[in-house]
Amino acid sequence: MKITQRINSWLEVPSSDPDDARRRRLLNIILAGVIILSALMQAFTIWLWFTTARAKWIAGASNIFWVTLGLLVAGIALFILNRFGPGWLASSLFLFVMTIAITFVDKPEQLVTGRSLFLFTLPIVLASMLLPSWTAFAAAGMSIATLDFLVIRMAGDQIALIPTFFTLGFIALLAWLSSRSVEVALRDLRKLNHELDQRVAERTLELSAALSRERIESGRIKAILESIADGVLVFDVSGIAIIANPSLTHLLEVQDDQLIGATISGFSDVKTMDTYNRGILNNLLTNPSRQLSNYRIQWGKKTLSVTSAQVVDRDGDQIGTVAVFRDYTHEAELERMKNTFLAIVSHELRTPLNAILGYAEMLKEAIYGPVNEKQTRAADRIMTNSLRLLDIVSDLLDQAQMEAGKLSLHIGPFRPADLIENVHGVLDKIAADKGLQLTSELDPELPEYINGDIARLQQILVNLINNASKFTEKGSIHMSILLTDKQHWSMKVEDTGIGIPEDELPKIFEAFRQVDSTATRKYGGFGLGLAIVKQLAELMEGNVFVKSQLGVGSTFSITLPINQARSPK
Amino acid sequence: MNELAIIVEDDEDLATIFTEALQSAGYQVETLRDGLIAQKRVSQVEPHVVILDMHLPIVSGADLLKQIKADERLKKTIVVCATADARMGEAITDTADFVLIKPITFSQLRDLTARLHRL
Repeated sequence: MKITQRINSWLEVPSSDPDDARRRRLLNIILAGVIILSALMQAFTIWLWFTTARAKWIAGASNIFWVTLGLLVAGIALFILNRFGPGWLASSLFLFVMTIAITFVDKPEQLVTGRSLFLFTLPIVLASMLLPSWTAFAAAGMSIATLDFLVIRMAGDQIALIPTFFTLGFIALLAWLSSRSVEVALRDLRKLNHELDQRVAERTLELSAALSRERIESGRIKAILESIADGVLVFDVSGIAIIANPSLTHLLEVQDDQLIGATISGFSDVKTMDTYNRGILNNLLTNPSRQLSNYRIQWGKKTLSVTSAQVVDRDGDQIGTVAVFRDYTHEAELERMKNTFLAIVSHELRTPLNAILGYAEMLKEAIYGPVNEKQTRAADRIMTNSLRLLDIVSDLLDQAQMEAGKLSLHIGPFRPADLIENVHGVLDKIAADKGLQLTSELDPELPEYINGDIARLQQILVNLINNASKFTEKGSIHMSILLTDKQHWSMKVEDTGIGIPEDELPKIFEAFRQVDSTATRKYGGFGLGLAIVKQLAELMEGNVFVKSQLGVGSTFSITLPINQARSPK
Repeated sequence: MNELAIIVEDDEDLATIFTEALQSAGYQVETLRDGLIAQKRVSQVEPHVVILDMHLPIVSGADLLKQIKADERLKKTIVVCATADARMGEAITDTADFVLIKPITFSQLRDLTARLHRL
């Protein structure tokens, strides 16, 4: 292998023209053959010099010695010229020397008789290979001219040689054709190669562009992952952590080598956690839902909000789990402060109100001495307004508790008749003061006892009727308790008030909203009443419906299950 | 002679209102500000009725309630518990004789205790 490579590199002549390189290589091969043959012949004649008689050697081998010596020297010289000089010159000289050599292989007389005429085809064929193919004709011309000269000089008989001239011309044509076709084929092949190279280059370029795009893309995702403030932890399908971004290690106050490669249960052990938090975390990571689910856990001194989800491929198969951690410490603290604030509002606001209410009542009841009619009325107004303020505080508290999901129901059997009676007790006077009539209806089909939280049901009715009376100038408010079907009953409040515009209907259950902001001043209240009604109803697994016609009135109805479960939520 | 009522309430204004209400109902009233004082006092006297706030300093209303109800000597004493917390109210309905959920009005307490006084 090594040797053939070495030989090849010796024969190869670097050239920018592939045809030139090919031709020079061919010449080199031939020259190498000539040189080797000459060298062998030289060696042979030298051997003969030592083994045969001097006179005999001079007679038989000296010619051969000198000719092969000449060939050897010429071959080496041409080889050097071919390598370092112009290729065409080396080839032309070679052909010239060759023609001379074959001209004198035989005596001209023998040549003319045709003994070695065929040798003249050699320069023609070689010319077509060693030089541009058309030179076959030039070589043929040279051969013919040489023969011509010989014939004219030696024999003067031109006619005998005419067929030979034609033959040489024909051989030149064949050599030209074959050499030409080889050249064309090679050119085509080179062209094909070139195109192929180009295509490979293009593809390589495309591939590298795609690769760098991919790299940029994955780099971008990595950059996003590394720059977001939330901690991201990804487990593969076997539950081994494979990705943890810097925010996570920062948030969890651990090194990322503690996370990467950790199993789910191993991850829960990274920080000392109580069994409750560990349970939540384990469950969250081992059974991620397809939807986002969100929980809070205690991680050391921090409160973390953890969201986990399945990572699903295009076919819907789970390929892993992603968990997003967010520092919830601040929010948790705010929540705690909010709850404390609510407790303060609940206690500190109600206590003085209760005192005001109590003193006003004592004044009115003449505990502190006789009072006249005006003073009684004033005490009455103080009481009414204090009660209203108490209601607002209670509403705010209820709303806040419901928002925090902390309001609980006290479910028990109660008589619907009692409910109606209680509501009349609370609201008859208020309705009468406004000149409205409060009527009621109880469906006789209803069972005597229904399960529910009577205090909260009463609150719903009171809120609805209070609301109705705010927006009803004259006419009546009608409440009814009806059996809807075997499993459901409903409470309905109808008024003859101003009604609600249709486009406002969806908004009326939002907290702190009244249809018209001026209404707050005109009709009073925070707009919490209906929000509380809706939330209470939903807490009781009920539905709220509202129908309204401008200028005619509104109807609110709430449908509830008869067998309210003992402790929903 | 008027029977004795003990009011245990740390809020001064509510204590005044409760006192007035019970006096109107015909009781001789003692008003105490914390659970510890009340604990000592009920071991000395036999009140007809105790109005007991559940949120008290030092000794809680719930502890005091348990103590009174466990005392054979005070088996005739009627305990009326007052709390703002409906859930707390529910938890003590079995032990207390009456549970009033705050806000408690003057007339509400006066009318209730007046009926108890006539018993």
